Amino acid sequence: MDKSKVIDAQELFSVDPELEIIARAKQGDQQAFHQLYQNYHRRIYALCWRMLADKDSAEDVCQEVFVQLWQKINNFRGESKFNTWLHSVATNIVLGHLRKQKNWLQRIFSIEDQKTTEAAVEMNDDSTISTLDKQIQKLPERARLVFVLFAVEGYRHEEISNMLGMAVGSSKSQYHRAKSLLRESLSEYSYE
Amino acid sequence: MNKETSEQHLEREVHKLAKEMSPKRDLWSGIERAIALSPQKNNAKGVGNKSTVIVPTAWAASIVAAVLLTWVSFTPNDTNLPNSINLASNMQESFEEQKQFVLASFGQPELTKLSKEMQTQLTELSKARKAIATALVDDENNSELLNLLRWTQKQELDLLKQLYSPKWQTI
Repeated sequence: MDKSKVIDAQELFSVDPELEIIARAKQGDQQAFHQLYQNYHRRIYALCWRMLADKDSAEDVCQEVFVQLWQKINNFRGESKFNTWLHSVATNIVLGHLRKQKNWLQRIFSIEDQKTTEAAVEMNDDSTISTLDKQIQKLPERARLVFVLFAVEGYRHEEISNMLGMAVGSSKSQYHRAKSLLRESLSEYSYE
Repeated sequence: MNKETSEQHLEREVHKLAKEMSPKRDLWSGIERAIALSPQKNNAKGVGNKSTVIVPTAWAASIVAAVLLTWVSFTPNDTNLPNSINLASNMQESFEEQKQFVLASFGQPELTKLSKEMQTQLTELSKARKAIATALVDDENNSELLNLLRWTQKQELDLLKQLYSPKWQTI
């Protein structure tokens, strides 16, 4: 018998354990929420760290994400995967943090071309961070945000343009700029 | 390394990126304390679908103006400054001079050509400034009002500089 055609009744009728945990967290069960935290905080921290290029801010914002998740978990209606929804929530919170941290316009127009050298210096000592991650952190802010959202998080340019308040074309050009800078720095790195 | 090779190399490196990273400090204890104090909200609009369009200026101006006007209306008069009305009119005169100087330095641009949002923000700030100046006529010794006037004037000048600086125009 073709095993691939056999219906696994156990699988068919079992409830996704994660959905169970989410349902319990929605009812205010802190243990269930802690389980969600255990399952997702490393992924959310990675997102925060890549977007913010700063360890301390990433930790603070990661905490903020889970506090807001607790408050608003009832907004999750299962229309998308929980992971996708949570990343979308986290991305919005990170961008909100960037806006609050400094006037958004000022960041874009004044600091945009400055490279995050301080973060880079700190990271060069960290052997657990990949070469590419170290180079991503050195990108100018807008290029870095677009690259992380598009190449790592899998958002479309249309979505990114909405998130960052820029034209779709700008998102694409920032992505190409990021790629070009990364290719350059990676090739330099491989010759060292 | 040629472009194609470096492109492939980059793609490979992107695929190899760690999906997870561990924060150095324990984040849960802070989260636990925070959620113990914050209630869960019932289902409302999806937080994940919040608009992320970044046009804060008009909103900011409206909020600033509303706060200022409320403050102007309800702040009690409990401080005394001699000759403050003269001070207020001096500040206004000085502000107008500075504003003209700023506009002249950018070639006397027409404010009507700005976007609606920016015009709204400028108008709101201007209204707030005038409301404070009017309040100062009746309450000439209020140091808080004088500080507010100074603050709104500075916001207006900063905004004009921001709007017409070359960096803004090149975008």
